[in-house]
Amino acid sequence: MAVAELTSAAGAIAPRRRRVRATASRIGGGLAILIPILVLSSFITYSLGALSNSNPAATILGQDAATPATVARLDKALGLDKPLIVQYWDWLTQAAQGHLGTSYFTQIPVSQSIAQRLPVDLSIAILAVILAILIGGTAGTVAAIRRGGWFDRGVTLVCSAVSTLPAFVVGIILVVVFAVAWRLLPANGYVGPTGGIFPWLQHIILPSLALSLQVAADIARQLRTSLVAVLEQNYIVGARVRGLPYRRILVRHALRNASGPALTILGNDFPLMLAGAVAAEAVFSLPGLGQLLLEAAQTRDIPVVQGVLLVVSTFVIVVNLVVNTVLNLLYRSSDGIAA
Amino acid sequence: MSGRARGGRRYLTGPGSMLRLPSARIAVVILAIVVFLAIFGGTLAPQNPLAINANDLFQGPSLHHLLGTDYLGRDVLSRLMAGTRLSVLTAFEAVAIGLVLGGPLGIATVFLGRWFDFAANRVSDALMTLPSIFFAVAVTAALGNGLVQAMLPVGILLAPNFFRVTRAATLEYARAQYVEAAELLGASKVHIIRVHVVRKVLPNLAVMTATATAYALLAVSFLTFLGIGVQPPAPTWGGILSSDLDYLNLSPWAPFIPGALIAITVGALNALADAFRDRTGPGTLVLADPVIKTHSTLALEAADDRQPAA
Amino acid sequence: MTGNPPPDEVLGIEDLHITVHDGAATAIRGVSLSVRTGEIVGLVGESGSGKTLTCRAALGVLPPGCVISQGTISFSREDVTDLPRRGWERLHGTGMGAVFQDPASYLNPNLTVGGQLAEVLRVKQQLPRGQAHRRAVELFTAVGLHDPERVFHQIPAELSGGMLQRVMIAIAISCDPRLLIADEATTALDVTIQAEIIELLLDLRDQRGLAVLFVSHDLAVIRELCDRVVVFYAGEVVETGPVDQIIERPSHPYTQALLRVASVGDYGRRELQVIPGQPPRVGAEIAGCRFAERCPAAIAACQTGPVDLIRLAPGHQARCVRATDPELAAITAAAAAARTPQTPQAGQAGLDAEMAAR
Repeated sequence: MAVAELTSAAGAIAPRRRRVRATASRIGGGLAILIPILVLSSFITYSLGALSNSNPAATILGQDAATPATVARLDKALGLDKPLIVQYWDWLTQAAQGHLGTSYFTQIPVSQSIAQRLPVDLSIAILAVILAILIGGTAGTVAAIRRGGWFDRGVTLVCSAVSTLPAFVVGIILVVVFAVAWRLLPANGYVGPTGGIFPWLQHIILPSLALSLQVAADIARQLRTSLVAVLEQNYIVGARVRGLPYRRILVRHALRNASGPALTILGNDFPLMLAGAVAAEAVFSLPGLGQLLLEAAQTRDIPVVQGVLLVVSTFVIVVNLVVNTVLNLLYRSSDGIAA
Repeated sequence: MSGRARGGRRYLTGPGSMLRLPSARIAVVILAIVVFLAIFGGTLAPQNPLAINANDLFQGPSLHHLLGTDYLGRDVLSRLMAGTRLSVLTAFEAVAIGLVLGGPLGIATVFLGRWFDFAANRVSDALMTLPSIFFAVAVTAALGNGLVQAMLPVGILLAPNFFRVTRAATLEYARAQYVEAAELLGASKVHIIRVHVVRKVLPNLAVMTATATAYALLAVSFLTFLGIGVQPPAPTWGGILSSDLDYLNLSPWAPFIPGALIAITVGALNALADAFRDRTGPGTLVLADPVIKTHSTLALEAADDRQPAA
Repeated sequence: MTGNPPPDEVLGIEDLHITVHDGAATAIRGVSLSVRTGEIVGLVGESGSGKTLTCRAALGVLPPGCVISQGTISFSREDVTDLPRRGWERLHGTGMGAVFQDPASYLNPNLTVGGQLAEVLRVKQQLPRGQAHRRAVELFTAVGLHDPERVFHQIPAELSGGMLQRVMIAIAISCDPRLLIADEATTALDVTIQAEIIELLLDLRDQRGLAVLFVSHDLAVIRELCDRVVVFYAGEVVETGPVDQIIERPSHPYTQALLRVASVGDYGRRELQVIPGQPPRVGAEIAGCRFAERCPAAIAACQTGPVDLIRLAPGHQARCVRATDPELAAITAAAAAARTPQTPQAGQAGLDAEMAAR
């Protein structure tokens, strides 16, 4: 029967391998864009130190010991007598190997203090992402399935209300309600996961919730829109006519294809969540990166400031790359997302 | 919350039509009050915002203290009124920086050739991924602890948004036939930009400005909440919130007042942006700031992202 | 079409009424038809005549806002009119399969076509992954896809329309259904591929005893493929009967016009240019014959009351008061000839008149 249909040349690369290659090249392209971004942001970060009129040597030596001779000697030891671009390059190559310098004041390596603080923010951020996906995903999905119903209208209303509230205000409300008024959860402090999973969760659940609500609202709103669009697509009818169970159609065909825009939002909201994490640290008195940055900024501890900024920027950029990769894996066809 | 127009209202044109939306009218009234407070708040404050009164700590609302007193017995209403100016002014500072840096460049890049456009876009993309709050904090380490300094990076990181909006709008209008016609008739590029493009770009800039102001105000509140840029006795919205937080056990309701003030102002700005957007029509806007929260634009952006980068 | 359904009836539709726009208008009024094992029944009619809606109802996937207000649908003599979702899930795939006009849009664009076929096999027949894969490749071979292993790993965007339609057919028949509903399945394909798909459907009928409800507005395709034809006009069945009889001796003026159009110029596309006037709006309430307004042979009796299907021969019925009038064909042919005096249709019109006179 069929003869002339297969137009593609015989012996072409198998479709699966070709797709893997295409995905790899797209990820490579993403990296190619991200590396200049990283270089640019790290340069801005490093120049901040040079911009400051502060004299590191004098700061370190203190008022009394800072004679021109001692300052000059320390400058040389710190490499501060070289041109800015050379200093930057030295710093960057060191940073790439994990050496971010030492604090001017405590003499503790910056990487060490960051490594100490990072788990706090990571715990909060990861739990917040999970909560945002769970809350926003569920709300958006149910609203889309029962669109026009009371749940749908309720979700729309709550989303509008939540998105005008900044994370730190939400955090304060949560502290007031759960910790002060009902005394259900601790209002502040942090216990690492090594101190037991339950106490750890108890301490991070409120900050994570505060962080996640706004993102959850965004996800719910976007997911509802795109899921409604996807559910009207012919391929949903196609899947029904094949006799697939409703739940399978919803998850494997509809949600999978509708989740792209919501995922993009999650990636875009990530810097916001980090800012929110700083707020959460302040509200809940958590010893995280934000507190480290604030203390360092107040004491003008430039290496610490630079180190934290570099880590945070890298983090944001890597998250963006991960989101883009997941999107690529989800959407194999360029016109794949229906919305 | 959304100020979407319904039915026939969508098609109204003319300068006053935006105000026919109830939400837009309410938003304008709220913003007028805030601006009024920013200008006269300090002088109109019923009491000295810095006056400590050890006998009146943590008072609830009363005739004498309409919004109660704080942990030093200071009048909360007076402190909020006096704190408005710095918050609003520095928010405007950031928006102005973003507008001045991003707006003209967004127009210029369309006319300056492919390579310039490419480079400008890459730099704009790069800046957009940076978390502005962290840079704001970091800058105070370099340039000294002040809100004016702290809002500098916020403004710079807002610039890519203005850049994108104006660039997109300019691209759209630069290709319009009447602009081509003007060019054929011998009008100079500068003239075309001034007369034709700028006027068409303005509505989109207005939306962006409202959105950016909302964000900047949030950033200010947040930074002052963290204690960046203000010396303790001076009142700011975020600072009041922060000190309220330290005494939650004694007066748990206190943070709601500054919190509500921030949320209402930000909400009003977003409603205004929505109203502007309804007038300029859907789809004319390209917003891509990850931090700035306007839901409808995020959806638009997500739609854009779907195009293969190629 | 009343009375007991024949024992080998696969699909039976009895007096079907469907309202659209949440009951605001009735789009399908009193449609009855049946498909038996191994039989290919064609549905013809112009766009908007209700063919697709009837198919959707038979498949249990009516679009939102559309409701069966009256009548019954039975599948293998089991009433499925008010079947709950679970029941349809059981019936779909194993009982009936479906193929549509735009196959690309009925496949998930982000999953490989093989994956989508294997999914059906794994869910409906509990085949393990490897076996499902092997069976899928077999099915792809059976529907005439070259290099099925390669096609398995391709996504819909990488396949041509004809290949996608074969994939759709493979999915539709994967669980050995008794009925295949093909809604304009060949319309968007070019003529050679159309012929191949038709041949494939005939093969499937011969090998598996598959019953096919084949929707098309292309009489040439219907003539090649079908055993019986049901002609739709404005939500009603206007004529039904064995394909030879309908083609040779159309008894309804609309069928006659359709045939005349089909034998002029390129197939399918220009039918409405030649039948003057527009079909009534969906849901329009008309006292008499719904075609009367456009009918060259209309008489006073056409407007007075509802017209019933008149039995003309065994299995051949037409909804026309003048169906038995021997002059009917000549009148419509003359009207057509009068409308197309110019070349090149003039000669054709003359032929038509001649044909009608015979």
